[in-house]
Amino acid sequence: MRLFWEITRRSFRRFMTYRAAALAGLVTNVFFGLLRVSVLLALYDGRPEVAGYTVPGIITYTALTQAVIAYLSLFGWFDLMQSVYTGEIAADLLKPMRLFTFWLAQDTGRAAVNILLRGVTIMIIYGLLFDLTYPQTAVQTLAVILTIILSWLLSFTWRFLINLPAFWTPNARGIVRLGYVLAWFFSGFLMPLRFLPDWVQRVAYLTPFPHMLNSVVDVYVGVLSGTELLRVLLIQAAWVLALALMGQLVLKTAVRRLVILGG
Amino acid sequence: MRHTLTLYRRLLGVQIRSQLQYRVAFFMDLLATGLTVCLEFASLALVLQRFQHIRGWTMGEVAFLYGMVEIAFGIMDLVFSGFDPGRFGQEVRRGTFDQILLRPVNITVQVLTLDFALRRLAKITVGIGIFIVGLQGTMITWTPAKLLYLPFVLGSMVCFFGGLFVVGATITFWTVESIEVMNILTYGGSFTISYPMSIYPDWLRRFFTYIVPAIFLNYYPALYILDKPDPFNFPPIAPFLAPLVGLITLALSLAFWRFGITHYQSTGT
Repeated sequence: MRLFWEITRRSFRRFMTYRAAALAGLVTNVFFGLLRVSVLLALYDGRPEVAGYTVPGIITYTALTQAVIAYLSLFGWFDLMQSVYTGEIAADLLKPMRLFTFWLAQDTGRAAVNILLRGVTIMIIYGLLFDLTYPQTAVQTLAVILTIILSWLLSFTWRFLINLPAFWTPNARGIVRLGYVLAWFFSGFLMPLRFLPDWVQRVAYLTPFPHMLNSVVDVYVGVLSGTELLRVLLIQAAWVLALALMGQLVLKTAVRRLVILGG
Repeated sequence: MRHTLTLYRRLLGVQIRSQLQYRVAFFMDLLATGLTVCLEFASLALVLQRFQHIRGWTMGEVAFLYGMVEIAFGIMDLVFSGFDPGRFGQEVRRGTFDQILLRPVNITVQVLTLDFALRRLAKITVGIGIFIVGLQGTMITWTPAKLLYLPFVLGSMVCFFGGLFVVGATITFWTVESIEVMNILTYGGSFTISYPMSIYPDWLRRFFTYIVPAIFLNYYPALYILDKPDPFNFPPIAPFLAPLVGLITLALSLAFWRFGITHYQSTGT
């Protein structure tokens, strides 16, 4: 456990040194959010509420999606794949720690920096520009915190899993990218899932993706309450466990295939 | 000139062959790129089913706007891959751009052939599909003038966004890293003009009219082709300004590129 926190701390400090880049990326996130708010408000066309999302609710949705892009690494994370290709993985596998735990520790630092520098800042900026909705009760606030942490764990287990094809093919970038594209659509990142036809929503909820983002929004803007909150949190946790186990299983066969070229 | 063209073709050939080496990887990349464009548009199309229209624009009309941008940006992204600021910044950082300067071959041709991201073919193809959806969903009364003007509109957007890539690449001579503001203009700009400009707040629309005149690239030509009224009361020539905007942007950015090359100081790596 001490080793875990040590790696996390170092990763945190490493990502903190890229403050300027984080702030620059933040500008783009805010700008794209403004474009998406314009699109959604034009669609609302004066309606006060659509499918459970009020006007402040839908702006909060947009703000949240932009705020978690960096935190969840939604646009892609290829680090594990790269480590296979550079051969660094050989040293990583020798470390007195599971490969999964090692990367999780690093990702904890990375995620913490991004939620602080980019996530919180983006929510504050949108809070100043627009009328947003906020968690109302202590229970809801607690649920928001838990769901945000679980969504990151879910994104991590998914990213870990889809990077593993790198063990089989000399260029897995396309496969990994496919994994991210599916996540964008089915997580409700492109459009809130509640706005899509029922059959699409049903398909989406067969996958873990809605629990990376859509559930976070639903908990945050208060569409869900009471026992529904608990149910969503449990499903999120179940998916995290399932994907983590799958990652371990695939990794087991993957490592047996690993060939490192000397350099 | 002829020598330069031959060289351009040869270097492109090398790029294409090398990308086709790993068939499976290439195919997966195509699939991922195509699916990205497809699902991005699908999410909009599915939501439009519920809402019927966006500021009076039907699903077919939006598909027309959207498809045009995807096709043009895809072609641009293919042809100007070497100038992609994020990618070009690496050449400056690693000092490999210095090698390019040493070779007795046209510098621009060398940079153009640094990369030729074939996976963009998927973006262009899906873009054409979206455009066809647009044609089927709208009742355009085609005239010879409209038909003739269409390729010019696409070409203008290619020139415009290509110009922005060149500017972004040139800036890395000084900054080394590609600067984020360029992303707002390229990716933000193409997102903006994929939708009817009447949905944006005034300040944003004015920015894309008077400072970066992207409104004339797609929105105004679309008003003309779809016979829609202009809500902003511009002079009737507005739909035909696209080629001017495209060419001027590209010309200015190439001038900036040449200025950048003469002032280039290597990073020393």
